[in-house]
Amino acid sequence: MQVFLQTIVGGVSLGAVYALVALGFSLVYRTMGLVNFAHGNVVTVGAYLASTFYLSARLPFTLAMVVAIGVTAVIGLVIERVLRPLENRDFDLMLIGTIGFGIVLDALVIMIWGATGRAVPSPVPSAPLDILGLRIRTYDLVVLAIAAVATVLLVLFLSRTKRGAAMQAVAMDHEAATAVGIHVGRSNAIAFMIGAGLAALAGGLVGPLLYVSPALGGALGIKGFAAAILGGFGSIPGAIVGGLAIGVLDSFTAGHFQGYSELVTFLVFTAIIMVRPTGVFGERTVNRA
Amino acid sequence: MLRLHATAISVFAVSAVLAAGCSAPGAGDENTGNDSGPIKIALVDAQSGQLSALGAWELKGARLAVDEWNAAGGVNGRQIQLDVFDDQGDPTVGTNLARKIDSEGYIAMIGTAESAVTIAMAPILKQAEIPNITSGQSPGLVAVGSEFLFLNGPTSTTYDETLAKHVVDTKGIKSIAMITNNGSYGKGEHDAFLKALTARGVTPVADQVVTTDQKDFSAVLTGIRQKNPQLIFLGAEEVESGLIVKQARDLGITAPFAGAAPQGTPVFLDTAGAANVEGTIVSSPYLSNDIDDASKKFAAAYQAKFNEEAEMHGAKAYDGTQILLTALKTSNLATGKALADAIRATKHDGLLGDFAYDRTGVGIFATSIGTIQNGKLVAAS
Repeated sequence: MQVFLQTIVGGVSLGAVYALVALGFSLVYRTMGLVNFAHGNVVTVGAYLASTFYLSARLPFTLAMVVAIGVTAVIGLVIERVLRPLENRDFDLMLIGTIGFGIVLDALVIMIWGATGRAVPSPVPSAPLDILGLRIRTYDLVVLAIAAVATVLLVLFLSRTKRGAAMQAVAMDHEAATAVGIHVGRSNAIAFMIGAGLAALAGGLVGPLLYVSPALGGALGIKGFAAAILGGFGSIPGAIVGGLAIGVLDSFTAGHFQGYSELVTFLVFTAIIMVRPTGVFGERTVNRA
Repeated sequence: MLRLHATAISVFAVSAVLAAGCSAPGAGDENTGNDSGPIKIALVDAQSGQLSALGAWELKGARLAVDEWNAAGGVNGRQIQLDVFDDQGDPTVGTNLARKIDSEGYIAMIGTAESAVTIAMAPILKQAEIPNITSGQSPGLVAVGSEFLFLNGPTSTTYDETLAKHVVDTKGIKSIAMITNNGSYGKGEHDAFLKALTARGVTPVADQVVTTDQKDFSAVLTGIRQKNPQLIFLGAEEVESGLIVKQARDLGITAPFAGAAPQGTPVFLDTAGAANVEGTIVSSPYLSNDIDDASKKFAAAYQAKFNEEAEMHGAKAYDGTQILLTALKTSNLATGKALADAIRATKHDGLLGDFAYDRTGVGIFATSIGTIQNGKLVAAS
């Protein structure tokens, strides 16, 4: 029983990070119908920026995170600006463009920070909580809380603000949205900006849990992408459920299948997707491809 | 329409240039291994991806050795040209690079730090008669049976036999749990340490295998915690080992860890946190930078050149490069089989020990035991 519960605890904290990555994928997909393949690389950039401001510039962790999110949001804007001429004209080129951006970001990361990577000490140094033999790291709770707050804010933004509603309208029918005076380009730019900011949030938060290296975003990107698909691509609650599910699934397969855990995780993932191709909360309303 | 194509094209042009800049710095060089001009040596290692830290260290060690020789006039008056190729830690990329360095006339190769990549490259290098000094340590390297393949350190068998001797025979620890990964390094460590334990009549209380990509070890570690072992053996690379130790301490596991080379590196220490690795037992041929005069001199030169503290992988590559350059000098710039024979005949008093190659390409058969105390690896008393 203890192994079972501890495994869930371990899976949930990384799952929350996967969920944040999935949120970024889903948001851009929801408003543009585009899978941003550079998303994982933006996670890496965010993780490096946060760790640099935290360790080298000696900013408090929270402030370092805010600055990192700000900088990556600008990167998101740049990506959108470059891709904008292709919007509604050549969708495949846009997809490949995001892959190209990913390669550029990866190369830039290695040029700026080198290939070796760095360890980030936990900003919450207190000892793990001990609840009936179950150990819960305080930093994990921080990660979960931040992920929850980010999700609530995002949902509120999309459902309660005029700008958010406009973005959803663009997603449903961009021509009609344009006709009623909504600026599609601006809507997409905001989606990319928030998506990149979420990537930095995930990367910055995961730094103290893992190790910041050029390979970080690749590993998180795949899991986040899988999480987004599992939850239903484009769905905000789906991203959360998918992220936590992949995290816990990962944790359990690691215990039971050891060296074959990765294989089993993706086999289970494939089986679920075969039964429910649109994921748990998937709807087919967003499809501009 | 023209503008959007131009934008897209420029994105790809930039990415292509950057990718090329990172992956093949040796590309486009038209020198061949003729009798004049620089002597071309290839360094193949991961310069990107998960194992790039190893590749970066190797490059620094080899670069230091080459620069020293060049500053002293090169080999027989000819300068040495060290070109870097990025294998991304991927055996497939490695095999392509093996063909590439053959066709571009490199006479020898330093690297890789990854046994699996080295093993994949070995048959092509053997056929091309290019001697290769690797930092890999898997017993699988010996099994390849190539007379052109040399190791610049001991094999896992040596590391783990020394370790088992220390913990079981000397310390009398019998309750041992094992965590290894399913990569080529971890597999080698698993088999070598298990063999050393079995030979001593010890059965590990847990034998857990993780994947090389794994990030959460709660299930594995909670299982081990319930067995309450006296010692946990780690057979995984630096970062993963560091994460395992960090999570183990968070779960309340207090048993010390033991392992080979990766567990003595600063990356392992930083990832896990200094307090968490206290007491870790390490089997390594290069314990620290102040073991003797040679290592002090090496560490000082390394610090001066790269503004970074020297560590074992740099030292290994430095030794390997020194052996290669010495063999080139003694053989009067031989290539192919003659160069391989010259390397085998080279006796080198290096940073890792006294190299004397046997038929299998292994030159060192001993490691020392160190422990991490106050955040530093020191020789065990």
